[in-house]
Amino acid sequence: MSEFDTQKGKYVTFQSGNEFFGLKIQYVNEIIVFQEITEIPESEDYIKGLINLRGKIIPVIDVRIRFKQEPFEYNDRTCIIVINVNNLVVGLIVEKIAEVVEIQEQNILPSPSIARGDKVQNKYVYAIGKVGDEVKLLLDPERLLNDEDLSLIEQANEGNLLEGEGE
Amino acid sequence: MAEDYITGDMLDVYLYENQQLLENLQEIVLDQKDAECFDEDSINEIFRTMHTIKGSSGIMMFDEITAVAHKLEDVFFFLRESHPDNVPHLELVEYVLRVADFITGEMDKLSDGEAADGDGSELLAELDQFLTKIKGPADPKEKKAPAKENVHVEPTQFYIAPAAAHEEHYFKIYLTYSPGIQMANMHAYKTVYALKEIAEDMMYSPEDILTNEDSGNEILENGFKILLKTQSSEEKLHEIVRPGYELEKVDIYACSEKDYLQGFDSIGSEIRIDLDASVEEIEDRAKQKQAGSRPPAKPPAPGDFVIASKEPGRPKKLAKDKPKKSEKAAFISVDIGKMDLLMDLIGELVISQSVVLQNPDLKVPGLNLDNFHKAAGQMSKISTDLQNVIMSMRMVPLTNTFQKMNRIVFDVSRKLGKEIEFEMVGEHTEVDKNIIEHISDPLMHLVRNAVDHGIESKEERLASGKTEKGKVTLSARTESGKVWIGVQDNGKGLDREKILAKARKQGLLEPGKPESAYSDKEVYQFITLPGFSTNEQVTEYSGRGVGMDVVVSNIQAIGGTLEIESTPGQGSLMNLKIPLTLAIIDGIVMEVGASSFVIETGVVKEFVSVTEKKMIHEPNGEESVMIRGECYPVLRLGRWYHLRNYNAKVEDGMMVIIEVEKKSLCLFVDRLIGKQEIVVKPIPDYVKKVKGLSGCTQLGDGSIALILDAAGLIE
Repeated sequence: MSEFDTQKGKYVTFQSGNEFFGLKIQYVNEIIVFQEITEIPESEDYIKGLINLRGKIIPVIDVRIRFKQEPFEYNDRTCIIVINVNNLVVGLIVEKIAEVVEIQEQNILPSPSIARGDKVQNKYVYAIGKVGDEVKLLLDPERLLNDEDLSLIEQANEGNLLEGEGE
Repeated sequence: MAEDYITGDMLDVYLYENQQLLENLQEIVLDQKDAECFDEDSINEIFRTMHTIKGSSGIMMFDEITAVAHKLEDVFFFLRESHPDNVPHLELVEYVLRVADFITGEMDKLSDGEAADGDGSELLAELDQFLTKIKGPADPKEKKAPAKENVHVEPTQFYIAPAAAHEEHYFKIYLTYSPGIQMANMHAYKTVYALKEIAEDMMYSPEDILTNEDSGNEILENGFKILLKTQSSEEKLHEIVRPGYELEKVDIYACSEKDYLQGFDSIGSEIRIDLDASVEEIEDRAKQKQAGSRPPAKPPAPGDFVIASKEPGRPKKLAKDKPKKSEKAAFISVDIGKMDLLMDLIGELVISQSVVLQNPDLKVPGLNLDNFHKAAGQMSKISTDLQNVIMSMRMVPLTNTFQKMNRIVFDVSRKLGKEIEFEMVGEHTEVDKNIIEHISDPLMHLVRNAVDHGIESKEERLASGKTEKGKVTLSARTESGKVWIGVQDNGKGLDREKILAKARKQGLLEPGKPESAYSDKEVYQFITLPGFSTNEQVTEYSGRGVGMDVVVSNIQAIGGTLEIESTPGQGSLMNLKIPLTLAIIDGIVMEVGASSFVIETGVVKEFVSVTEKKMIHEPNGEESVMIRGECYPVLRLGRWYHLRNYNAKVEDGMMVIIEVEKKSLCLFVDRLIGKQEIVVKPIPDYVKKVKGLSGCTQLGDGSIALILDAAGLIE
C-alpha cells in the first residue's frame, strides 16, 4: 500500500499539440525513447503498429491521431509512454514528455461540461488539474484505449465464443 | 467442519491424484471390456483404486464420492474374494465407468470451485442391486446374509458393553492406519477433531500432527495414541472413531484416572475391544493378551466373505495385504503456466542470441573474431539444446486422448447395438500439449462418425459377407515434422453417388462440370462443407449437419489438414495431418516495402521469378500468372495490405507459390531474406484481427515480422 501512497496524486504530463495532458502515474509502466514501429496493415489509423519491448510485443498508438489532431513528424524528442491498463500494455506515442507533477485533490476540477468544440479530445478527459498557472487535462486511459474499440474487440471475442459453443 | 482444515493445496493434490487414478481405471476397464471377465490383477487394481479414492475423499469429506467409491469397492471386494462366475461383464464395465464418470463430474465441480453436491444415491442403489444380483445365485450362504450392503457404515453394537452415562470415563485409544495411506497425520487430526466435541480433556501423541508432515509416517509406523477424558460412553466413542476407510484398527481401552494421568507409558486396560474382530476373536485375544502377545490376524477363509463383509472394517484388513504402491519419485508435476513461462524465456533467449551474434558492431572491418565465433558456436549449441529440452518437456503422448476415444467407441457402439473392436496404433506418439487440447474434439467427432455412420449394422455386415464385428482403428505416427492421426473403419465407406446427389441439391457443383469429372477426393471434400450430412436420420451422436465442417476448421486453426480416403464397401480413412508444435515454426522470411513477413516453410511450394509477359491481367483487377502451363492467382502483398514503397514491377520481385489443401496461390513479394526458426507470438488482442495474419515474431535484428496465415490468404 505504501507504494500507492507515494504515487498518490502524481501525474505524468506530456504535451500534445498545444495542450498538456496528465496521466495518473499508476498506469505508467515506463517511458522509452521512440523506436522503430512495425506497421500492421488494415488496422485503425491511430494504431501505428507493434514495437518490441525487450521481447514483449506491444501495440503503440499515436495520441495525436487518436485525438483527431494533425499527425506530427516523429523526432528524437518523441517518446513512447508504456501504460498498463487492466493488464493491457500499450505504448502511447507523444510529442514531448513534460514532467511528473503532483496535483492536490482540491486542484482537480471536473471536466467543464461546455463543449470546447473539440469533442473528440474531450471524451478522454475526465478532469482538469491546476498546477500553478497551468492547466493539465487529465486523461482517462481506459477510455483512451478502449472506448469504441474495446466494444469492437469484445464483440469479436463474443463472436468467437459463440462460434466456439456452436462447435 | 470441512472448511476448517481443508486447504487449497490439499484440494489440488486430491484432484490431481484422483484424476490420474481415474484415467488409469478407465484404461484398465476399457482394455478388458471385451474379455469374459476382469482378470485378477485388474480386479485388484480397481479395488485398490476405489479404495484410495474412497480414502482421500473421506479426508476431504466429500461424502457422496466416498459412498460411491465405497460401494464399487464392495463390488470388487466381492469379486476378488469369491470369484463368482456369473457376472454380467458388460454391465459391470458400465457400472465402473459410471462410477468413474460420477467422480470425475464431482471433481470437475470441485476444480471449478463449486461444491461436490452431486447425488450418487441412484447409482448407489443400482450398484446395490447389482451386487445383490451377482451375489445371489453365486453363493448359498446368501440366505444367512441379509441383503444389507452398507454395513461398514452401520455401527455394530452387539459386543459393546453398555456403560453408564454421565460419569467421567478415561480411555486410551490406539489407532492403526492402513499402511501406505497418504497424509496419515491429517486423518489423525480428523479423528482428534471429531473427538473434541465430546472430550473434556484430551492428549494425543505424536502431538505435532498439524505442523509436522513427517508425523504422518510416525503415525503409520507406531500408530496414533489418544488419551481421552469424557462423559460419553465407550459406545459413543466407537461411533465416532470407527475403523473406516483409512483406519485399519481401533483399539479402545477403558482406563482409570490414574492411568490417564500417567500418560502414554502404561497400558492398564481391562477390557480390550476391537471392532475389527468377532466376539470369539476378542475373547481369544483377551486370553492371548495376558500372555503378552499380539494375536495373529485371522486369515480370511475362502467362502466366508458374506460374514466377513458384514463386519465393519473388514475390508481394512484386506488393505493390509495390499502391496505398497510404487513411488513415482522420478516424476514431478509442474504447473503448466511455469512451463509456458520457461518456453517464452527460451524463445527470448534464442532471439537475443541472434541479436548478439548478428550485431552490426561485429561487421566493422578488421576485427579479429576467431575467439568470438568459437564462443558463439558453443552458446548456440547450448541454446538449441535448451530449446529441444523444453520442447520435449511439453510433449505429451497421445495415450490419454486415444483412451478417451476408446471410451466413446464403447459408449456409442453399446447404444447403437453395434459390436465394434477398437484398435490403437502408435498411441505413444508425442505431441505438444497445446495441440492435444485442440485435437481432442475433432477426433472425438471423427470417431463418433466412424462408429455411427461408418460401421454398418450387424445384419448389413453379415449380408455383405463381413465379420459381424466392426473395427475402428485409431493410429498415430510422426512423419516429416508432422503428426498423422488416422481414424479408420472397415464399414461401408462413403457413398460417392449420395454425396454427389446431395451436393447437386445444395447447388455445390460447378455448373458445366460433369459429375464424372470430380475425383473421389473432391467428392469427399464436400462432406467437410457446412450443413452437409448425408445421413437421413439424425441420431443422438451425429447427423445434425454440424460436424465435419467444424472438424475441418478446428484442424485448420492449428495448421493441420484433413484428408479423406474411402473405398466403397471397405471402409474409410480420415487422415489428420497436424504440426508437432505450435510455438516454434520453420519459416521463410520475406520483405515487402519496409515490412517483413514470415510464412511457414511447409506450405511453400516454390519460388519463381517471372516476367511481365507471363502475367495475365483480368479486367476486374485480378491477376494471375502462367508458370509451366499452370495458372496461379497472384496476390501482391504490398497492394493487399496497402503498404508503401513496394515493388510494382514483377521482374524486381519474387513469386512465392504456396499451397494449402490442393489450392494454390502466388504471393508477390519484394525480396526473400532467408529461412529461419521463428518463435510464434500472438498479435496483441488490442489490435483487431487482420485477415491473413496469424501472429508475429521477432527477428534476429530485434525487429518484428508478421506471420502470414497461408490458409487465410488462400481463402
